[in-house]
Amino acid sequence: MTTTEPLLSVENFSLGFGSKIDLIDGISFSVEPGKTLCLVGESGCGKSVTSLALMGLLATTPARITGGKARFDGKDLFTLSERARADLRGNDIAMIFQEPMTSLNPSMTIGQQIVEGILRHKPVSRDAAQARALEMLGLVRMPAPEKRFHAYPHQLSGGMRQRAMIAMALANAPKLLIADEPTTALDVTIQAQILALVSRLQAETGTAMILITHDLSVVAEVADHVAVMYAGRIVEVGSVDDIFSDPQHPYTLGLFGSVPSIGRRSSTLATIEGSVPPLEHMPRGCRFATRCPFADQRCMDEVPPDYEPKAGHRVACWYAPLEAHVRAA
Amino acid sequence: MSGGRNIILEAREITKRFGHPASFINQSTLVHAVTAVSLSVRRGETLAIVGESGCGKSTLGRLLLRLIEPSSGSVFYEGTEITALKQKDMRRLRRELQIIFQDPFASLNPRMTVRQILAEPIRLHRLAVGKDVDDRVDRLMRTVGLRADWSDRYVHEFSGGQRQRIGIARALAGDPKLIIGDEPVSALDVSIQAQVVNLLGELKHDFGLTLVIVAHDLAVIRHMSDRVAVMYLGEVVELAPADDLYEAPLHPYTSALLQAIPVSDPAARGQRQLLQGDLPSPTAPPSGCRFHTRCPHARPLCSQAHPALEAAGEGRFVACHFWREIQSAGVSLPVATTRRSALELRLGLYRARQAERKQGAQ
Repeated sequence: MTTTEPLLSVENFSLGFGSKIDLIDGISFSVEPGKTLCLVGESGCGKSVTSLALMGLLATTPARITGGKARFDGKDLFTLSERARADLRGNDIAMIFQEPMTSLNPSMTIGQQIVEGILRHKPVSRDAAQARALEMLGLVRMPAPEKRFHAYPHQLSGGMRQRAMIAMALANAPKLLIADEPTTALDVTIQAQILALVSRLQAETGTAMILITHDLSVVAEVADHVAVMYAGRIVEVGSVDDIFSDPQHPYTLGLFGSVPSIGRRSSTLATIEGSVPPLEHMPRGCRFATRCPFADQRCMDEVPPDYEPKAGHRVACWYAPLEAHVRAA
Repeated sequence: MSGGRNIILEAREITKRFGHPASFINQSTLVHAVTAVSLSVRRGETLAIVGESGCGKSTLGRLLLRLIEPSSGSVFYEGTEITALKQKDMRRLRRELQIIFQDPFASLNPRMTVRQILAEPIRLHRLAVGKDVDDRVDRLMRTVGLRADWSDRYVHEFSGGQRQRIGIARALAGDPKLIIGDEPVSALDVSIQAQVVNLLGELKHDFGLTLVIVAHDLAVIRHMSDRVAVMYLGEVVELAPADDLYEAPLHPYTSALLQAIPVSDPAARGQRQLLQGDLPSPTAPPSGCRFHTRCPHARPLCSQAHPALEAAGEGRFVACHFWREIQSAGVSLPVATTRRSALELRLGLYRARQAERKQGAQ
């Protein structure tokens, strides 16, 4: 994207469930230190499973990596031993999940859970770990942190649970934070608080972030770079300004068109017709071809080349830029 | 609020409490879900009820249909007090008052085919017999944009968006006059949300329906509704025509909700005044104005006296002691989305081509 050495660079990453066609089909992206990359896409496009692959948490799923590399801080994540991965996880790479209630341990207090994570990775005493945990709870603006330290997850509200998750994820000052829809389960007022909190902490600690979301307004709020995913491929990638001021791919356009704008009201929303086809019916060419209003036979049969309107902004579409190839009706 | 024949559904001072009051041994577990809400729904409009989780909006929706019994207060449908009707008479009315639930998977019977699901209300209300039932089912399927020959499938064979279409078809099966949508699109992906929002708009127009939409997504609400009622901790704090509410909110809670919506433009990223704290527990709502614990404008009076929902002109209502002053102090609004030309241009091409293809297909 720019000349800075990326912290994480994923190249040609593919992942499948044992069938002939891969769910994730050769995606590449990179994250610079201290920056935020948003992976945008709808359910089933492969964004969450990508984050699990990066965390080394695929063992619990039927998905397997079928190709590609992920270089993080000089190491290839996909070839590390399980032990080395466990040392990275929760330490250099941490994760925030969508639903804090199911990802926190219901039988341990918030404090115990944060302390456990610190003691696993850092050579500190239990007292020092507790002090650090308490400090983290304060940093994430948990109301009455000393009291919440001893609270169980079910005793907290959704927003407080998500704060506890963030405190836990950032306790070891990770280089990379992966946040999988961290605000989707929250109310809009709490979502705004959490987004502001994450941005502030990120600025203070210099942590890089991959934020996975389907919400374009969240992207507009926090992203430096954006990768738009559709059915396991990245269809468009660029800086947040590229994507918002010069969106190229028909899927990106459809996503923008589907979001009701708060500013004004138009008669009907532009929609993306139909739904994502099942893997076995995925077109060989562009995977969006079955739903794209511009698609023709070539789109169905041949994988589109990357078109690069400017450095760092790449679009996988035969017809980009649209205005040069499509005449207005 | 104005009465008359214009009003299809009206709630008067309706209250719902769950749980038990305090006794010798036990602490009170009384949850004040909805407190003395008066609200009228006009024929043919789309009224949105918005608020954060736990504000009582879904409870209010269910009260309006008498799916749960109110603790006090009454609901009138077409001038009849439905909260006083016998169950038998109520059942007859149910055909006209329908609901669409948030999670279409949890609200459709997994052991019935779509045909059985849709035929049930048709038979129950004797809208058709014999082969006519099947015709009606086929018509319903096409109305909501599904293929008629899919009706012998089970619910699990459909995607989330399709299931919600089935939920809508079931609500339509009884030829209703009013449909309440309880977060009808919030479980769906954005592109699918847009499809369902558009569908609801079309159906409302084609069938002359009145819609009450319960939701927490303010952007979707603006797009689909005529009037919006904002709820906080079981009370309606503001009620206004949608455009007025979004352009000039009167209640500080409404403006806080609007402020919280992320701007959909990276250039407009900036400092927003964010509401702090969580919703207080509805078991012990704050005294006076229930919002005073989080309100940036709160003064001593706010914790003492409860503000009534008062008329603020032009069909607007607000429950705030100081709405006039706060407003003149200038409530800052979220920046309107400025879509830039490249997006406009290409989205234009996208819509045009989509319309062309649709026509070609017909």
